[in-house]
Amino acid sequence: MSAAPTAVGLSTPRRDSAEKAAGAARFADDFAVPGMLHGAILQSPIPHGRILGCRTEAALRHPGVRAVITALDLPDRRVGSFVKDERTLAREMVRYVGEPVAAVAADTPEAARAAARLIEVDYEELPAACTLDQALAEDGPLVHPEMAGYVRNGASPWQGNVFWTAEIREGDTDAAWADCDVIVEGVYETPAQYHAYMEPCSVLAEPDLAGRVTVRSSAQSIFYLQGRICEELDLPMSRVRCLAPKIGGGFGGKNGVNVQPIAVALALAAGRPVKITLSRTEDMEMLRSRHPARIRMRTGAKKDGTLVAREAELLFDAGAYGDESPAVMSFGLLCSRGPYRCPNVAVTGKAVYTNKLKAGSFRGFGNPQATFASESQLDELAGELGIDPIELRRRNALQPGDTWLGGQQVDACAFTACLEAVSERVAAEAADLPPPRPGWRRGTGFAGLSHISGLMGTSATVYLRGDGTVALSTGVVDIGQGSDTVLPQICAETLKLSVDAVAYAPQDTDSSPYNWKTAASRITYTAGRSVAAATVEVREKIMRHAAEALECAVEDLELLPGGQVGLKDAPARSVSFKQIAARAFNAAGGPLVGQNAYAFDGPRFDPKRAIMNGFAFDNLGIYVFGATAVVADVDELTGKIEVRKVWSAHDIGRAINPLSAEGQVQGAVVQGLGYALLEELVWDEGRLTNPSFMDYKICDSLDTPTAIVPILIEEAPEETGPFGAKGVGEAGIVGVAPALANAIAAATGVRLRRLPMTPERVLAGLEPDLLG
Amino acid sequence: MQFVEPETVEEVVAALAADPTSRCLAGGATLVAMMNADLVEPGGLVSLRRVPQLATLTVEVDGTAVIGAMARHAAVARFDGFRGAQRIVRAAAARIGHPAVRNMGTIGGSICHADPSADYPTAITAAAATIDIAGPSGSRQLAAADFFVDWFETALEPGELVTAVRLPADLPLAGVHYEKFTRADGDFATVSVAAVVSITDGLCEAVRVAVGGAAERPVRDPEAEAALVGAPLSPAGLAALGEALQGRCNPIDDVRASAAYRLALVPRLVARAVTAAARDAEQQEGQNS
Amino acid sequence: MSETGRMAIELQVNGSRQPALAAPHETLLTVLRERLGLTGTKRGCNQGVCGACTVLIDGEPMRACLSLALACTGRAIETVEGLGDGLRLSPVQQALVDKGATQCGFCTPGMAIALTALLRRDPAPDAEDVREAISGHLCRCSGYVKIIEAGLAASRRNEAP
Repeated sequence: MSAAPTAVGLSTPRRDSAEKAAGAARFADDFAVPGMLHGAILQSPIPHGRILGCRTEAALRHPGVRAVITALDLPDRRVGSFVKDERTLAREMVRYVGEPVAAVAADTPEAARAAARLIEVDYEELPAACTLDQALAEDGPLVHPEMAGYVRNGASPWQGNVFWTAEIREGDTDAAWADCDVIVEGVYETPAQYHAYMEPCSVLAEPDLAGRVTVRSSAQSIFYLQGRICEELDLPMSRVRCLAPKIGGGFGGKNGVNVQPIAVALALAAGRPVKITLSRTEDMEMLRSRHPARIRMRTGAKKDGTLVAREAELLFDAGAYGDESPAVMSFGLLCSRGPYRCPNVAVTGKAVYTNKLKAGSFRGFGNPQATFASESQLDELAGELGIDPIELRRRNALQPGDTWLGGQQVDACAFTACLEAVSERVAAEAADLPPPRPGWRRGTGFAGLSHISGLMGTSATVYLRGDGTVALSTGVVDIGQGSDTVLPQICAETLKLSVDAVAYAPQDTDSSPYNWKTAASRITYTAGRSVAAATVEVREKIMRHAAEALECAVEDLELLPGGQVGLKDAPARSVSFKQIAARAFNAAGGPLVGQNAYAFDGPRFDPKRAIMNGFAFDNLGIYVFGATAVVADVDELTGKIEVRKVWSAHDIGRAINPLSAEGQVQGAVVQGLGYALLEELVWDEGRLTNPSFMDYKICDSLDTPTAIVPILIEEAPEETGPFGAKGVGEAGIVGVAPALANAIAAATGVRLRRLPMTPERVLAGLEPDLLG
Repeated sequence: MQFVEPETVEEVVAALAADPTSRCLAGGATLVAMMNADLVEPGGLVSLRRVPQLATLTVEVDGTAVIGAMARHAAVARFDGFRGAQRIVRAAAARIGHPAVRNMGTIGGSICHADPSADYPTAITAAAATIDIAGPSGSRQLAAADFFVDWFETALEPGELVTAVRLPADLPLAGVHYEKFTRADGDFATVSVAAVVSITDGLCEAVRVAVGGAAERPVRDPEAEAALVGAPLSPAGLAALGEALQGRCNPIDDVRASAAYRLALVPRLVARAVTAAARDAEQQEGQNS
Repeated sequence: MSETGRMAIELQVNGSRQPALAAPHETLLTVLRERLGLTGTKRGCNQGVCGACTVLIDGEPMRACLSLALACTGRAIETVEGLGDGLRLSPVQQALVDKGATQCGFCTPGMAIALTALLRRDPAPDAEDVREAISGHLCRCSGYVKIIEAGLAASRRNEAP
């Protein structure tokens, strides 16, 4: 087999880049159809209350209105991934300001909005538990007093507003503290971060005369969406078809349902197509955020830096509905030992209801919260012990063959290489940075990190075409991370074709093979595995046909680049894919098709090793490792932080498309900078005070350094991954906040344990008496 | 909603009088944003874009800079006719929002919105500007200090509009510095300081410092400024000025910062801004000699 | 004015005169997307902050979401659709493709507009100039690095941007 790759490892420009640059790529709101109506949603104005009554007559009479719906027009059922506690439209109760209560379809967006304002809803306002402390208080208001009656997908203790608890225990922490020479303890707080994808959520639902509805929407999964629409509206999947237009970013925020079921319900009620595109403010107020968290963590070590014990309690503020909280919280727990050997661990987690915007999936999925605490504490330990921060991490670093917290074996692990890579780059490059300005102090900070890649089910189909090119079909939605290019690259390489020889089908629940979601950094690894396996099936069929055509054994043949099969010792004797297709299609065996279906089947947690209770999943993914380094300057007078350079090393196994992987890492790092420095949804008694880009700031080009260096480490390929690859979609964000906190501590001596590290918080740390 | 495009200031005044629910449309950067958010629904729109008199950007014979109400931020930021203290307005214009917003927004629109966290109100206060106003009772002028009355409130009467902002030529050799402290690029100021300093033979001849984002309108303290005149600038002098201004501030808690933090920033940023303005004055002197 | 309050206007878009109906409160963004079918210009926030709606008006980048359509008559409007030529991308657009600067693609049209305006004004910008030119354009996917590289690459091509 020749060694030069034909597709994998090449930085092929993404195949949809040109249409995006031309403005020709069509996102959900770019679609319009004749007869289309516009939907508007009436939201709850209070954080907690009973709906006493609802009158829609005035709204229905508004000119241009074609349908008005409330919960009473929909099936009486609750939905939710883990706890079925949520409704399409609020029924009987509202639990957060911004919750959808009713919806209108009208000829114009203005008419729909005006009519929505005419819907009269009588509320009996109830005391609200707006904060974590209010929700945890002894006799605090209950967000879901009738929780006992909810269907739950998994067993877990619950009480009051704490609706899910989980724990992991390994070893014996109670005894272990006595063995520690140094113990550090702290409470870490992280904010609600808004996904801030540039494309606000949008959906177009078109009913047809065959009794079906076609849904084009901005969503990270067509199949999950189809399932939820059908569950919420009591429809069979055969009546709902979901298509993927171009998606303007998701980052987890478009993983779950947003307003699609509402649009479908309006479309069916009006008998006309309905489009709903949320305003930016609605998008911020109505859907979901990252979980704010409060983490109390304690770590003990020996004098030489060997980690001995870790204890943590993770409180995840879930907002008004459970959504994916049990999984986010469980994953946060799973990550709270970090990529280190530490024999005694006891970590517990609680997901807590509060009367505000619910929290859900967001890049990192509980790991950024846990890692902020964990990697901050490692530096605190290093400080107490007088050990270099990289050295401390190196001494305890997980090695190949070690087990993750809970017992999963980690085979491919280049964590030490990642630590060394950032350490070396900082040593070599930090001195080249322009010196800090007068009055500014500079610090360097590091963080180790890990994440998973994998989980759940997927499938792929590959067809050989008449001219020897190939058609690939998966159900994977590209949300901007580049799967539309990477998956064809994997297919192409498996057949030694260039990626141009692979056509890739758009995603459509009518015809695409099932894929769970674009989430969990899983696509390159999981869907990639499936694509590779389906392509191998076609390859094997090609080889069998070639053996027949060349009258030899399959073992005598080799695949040649460019769609040929030749004899190993006499490659001039060859047959082309095109010839094989001609031979097969209408005669010998029919068209060549390869298929694969796969659900992540890695080792589950080991109950002999660890006690794990309440976990929302028992089987996750393979582990990816990394390290982040940051050089930052702090203005002593104002507390302002400017980041000068970031290095982010990732144990990617194999970069299928290096350019694309670099872009993912750089984007994740900048999201991490926003999380660390700028971004925080702020509520005042249940009301979101900053639901706009005026008031909720994300980094622009002048807030970020241009020097963001992704380091892709391929020295430890993942045996089970396609060409050794594992996913890095999320990993880039995980280490940024703690690395920055460590840099600030190095620069100023101030240890900040609350994100975002705004200038005000930094100054308060530098001068504790200043702000009173 | 009516949409009219008058061609003279008189026609504008007449249109506003004919429909008191109508609003002037200048650059649209604020008004259209508010309309998009359903915060305001004007009964009519009086577009100012075809009134040539409002688009001027010149220097008069006596050195007064006249900025027409419709002058775009980008044009002001590029204008090379400002001298001395007048340049503080250019420095502020360059910091407003982002490039595309600077191409659209106007000084008239900005000061009429009277957001104390915006850049122009603070800068024109430090520039000791006067504001030309036209209305049903004729034209009048107001000093910047009298124009800004309260949060988002000016001294304009119903039916009046700003036609120009005039910057006096009284400090032609002054150095300037606009210190805008934001939590993120392009944001409104958390606190801003517009400083104008005139130095002759090492002695401070004039100081004008306005603080933005820390009260319901830009804050100046002419007495504290006067106390610095006749002596070289010193850390103690700057601290005293900063403290005096801090004492006149009345900031709020909002999502950008707490009132306490804003107050703490005031003297620090005042010192920074005046020091930088003094350096700029030296450079001006260097260039002129 | 019709029953919907819309008036017939004419806009000069990408070099040709386009008739359209627009009510006084309707923005250029709405008219471009919904009346003229030019959906390349995006609505990201409708408040002028995100930059996805940016077009060139008389050669200058401006927010279409903050421009009322009726106030844009008589001005030369260029949208992302007008930068290239049929199936051929402009050098700025091609550079965004080549440098891997597009991920989800939602900010891309605005970035292309901003970079085009920069290079027409300054054919040899440095990295700081490029960074400043795109500072009013939010991107949540890329971290800006490759977009800046694309701007510099386009400038090195020495063609009309």
